[in-house]
Amino acid sequence: MSARESRIDWAKLLILLGMGIYLTQLIISGNLLNYINQRFAWLAYVGAGIFFALAATSLLQRIKPSLHAHQHYAIGWDIVLVVAFPLALAVLIPSRSLGIEAINGGISLRPVGVGTAATFARSPLDRNILDWLREFNRAVPAEFNDLPVDVIGFVYQEPVHDDDEFMVSRFTLSCCVADAFPIGMPARADSLDEVAIGSWVRVQGRLQAANFAGELLPVIAVEVLEAVDEPEQPYLYP
Amino acid sequence: MDFVFNIEVFATRFLGIFIEAVPFLLMGSLTSGLIESFVKSDDILRWMPRNRLGAALGGAFLGLAFPVCECGVVPVTRQLFRKGLPLPMGIAFLLAAPFMNPIVFASTFIAFGIGPVFIGRFVITLVVSVSVALIIGSFAKPGSVLKPLALAGGRHKHSHDHSQEHDHHHDHELATASLSEKLLHAVGVAGDEFFEMGRFLILGSALAALMQTLVPQENLLALGTGNVLSVLFMQVLAYILSVCSTVDSFLALAFVNTFTTGAIISFLSFGPMVDIKSTLMFTGVFRRRIVLYLILLPFLMNLLAGVFINLALGY
Repeated sequence: MSARESRIDWAKLLILLGMGIYLTQLIISGNLLNYINQRFAWLAYVGAGIFFALAATSLLQRIKPSLHAHQHYAIGWDIVLVVAFPLALAVLIPSRSLGIEAINGGISLRPVGVGTAATFARSPLDRNILDWLREFNRAVPAEFNDLPVDVIGFVYQEPVHDDDEFMVSRFTLSCCVADAFPIGMPARADSLDEVAIGSWVRVQGRLQAANFAGELLPVIAVEVLEAVDEPEQPYLYP
Repeated sequence: MDFVFNIEVFATRFLGIFIEAVPFLLMGSLTSGLIESFVKSDDILRWMPRNRLGAALGGAFLGLAFPVCECGVVPVTRQLFRKGLPLPMGIAFLLAAPFMNPIVFASTFIAFGIGPVFIGRFVITLVVSVSVALIIGSFAKPGSVLKPLALAGGRHKHSHDHSQEHDHHHDHELATASLSEKLLHAVGVAGDEFFEMGRFLILGSALAALMQTLVPQENLLALGTGNVLSVLFMQVLAYILSVCSTVDSFLALAFVNTFTTGAIISFLSFGPMVDIKSTLMFTGVFRRRIVLYLILLPFLMNLLAGVFINLALGY
């Protein structure tokens, strides 16, 4: 084995190890939920396990070269660098969930998927934004008048909205961020001065059918608007 | 709305797709390594159907034996080609297996039950994969379709000239190895396979993330209702989104209220066959011209099927 091949083999070993460590770190820190639906978190465990197994085997073969007489593909630095790219991004750019910057063409009032009997049975104060939007699709806006609302989301505003109008928004995630879909509930507050657009808020208030950006909708008449930390599960799972 | 490229949004989208897909690529790589270590070319040749149609049909259902999604299927297909799998069988397997396996049957059933979507997905996947396999399989020699690395015996970089000889020698060498040596060999192959295929997965994920970051989806959603346009749109979306076939049914649920049934079924049958990341992985197995056929033929056939469902069956 030439010195160059040997260096490449060590680089491959480090990448395999690095990938395993990266996935493990995502699991431990909880940042994994910035990327995929919790339902599929087990995939990261499987991935980390296989990466460590590959790294260990690679190390074994480095120590005892007789176990592995030949390389199976001609893998050069170009391939090694491409495969190292995710690790470079992971190290250089702090882990973040999708937020307001990722909204690419408006927010939907029509959520992904269908509710189950269990979600519809939730009492109003236990409903999240997804539950509410599913409810909204089942009845006319006036039916929800005076129901209490207590939801967490980020503040989203479009040019068509008045200064006191906003949407309290979340991304839904079926699988991973590839299918992230922004949804939001219309809300109206006395003043938005206290919170920044795009920041996470807890919104408490009561629903009232009203005209919102030209449409009759159940709108939250906000009573309490407070800034909160981003939830551990930034996305809602349909 | 401004089109500022936000590197953080790109990073989140890219890493999300990568993290979701890479375990499946790893499982595919391991399967490939195990085949390399434990399956002998002679066995494959003995079990293969002799005629083309039989081979294509067999390939379409081979996923029941090797449950892989579209990230794992490419390394496994290449390994099977190297072991001498007939061309039509490999191509049908490549296109059909990401749906034709117990895991994706289950996820489709959970999302849609046994109805037009499940049955449509099954029938279209079968018909398209077998047809494309027969068309490409009738192109003379495997050498004009496959890259050298994917040809029988093209396993080692030192084996270009005396590949067959070397291959037999290698099979023989492995046959006398102990179980632990074989396993170690399998994992070693899997590691190399991960790098070989992983680069395509990474480039493809980056491309998909870039498209998602730059192209506003809602603009495209306006196209959703026409009998033809909706199918066309959902297929393009499936290609761009590159969502794993094991979970695409749950994503498709998002569109059932907006889109025609034909569009939903085409999304589900075309998406697992080809998408941005698998296109790049195909280039590691097939010659460029064939990669083009492998995208266009399924695209057109799925389009026809989806439009037919909308117009003729009236769902």
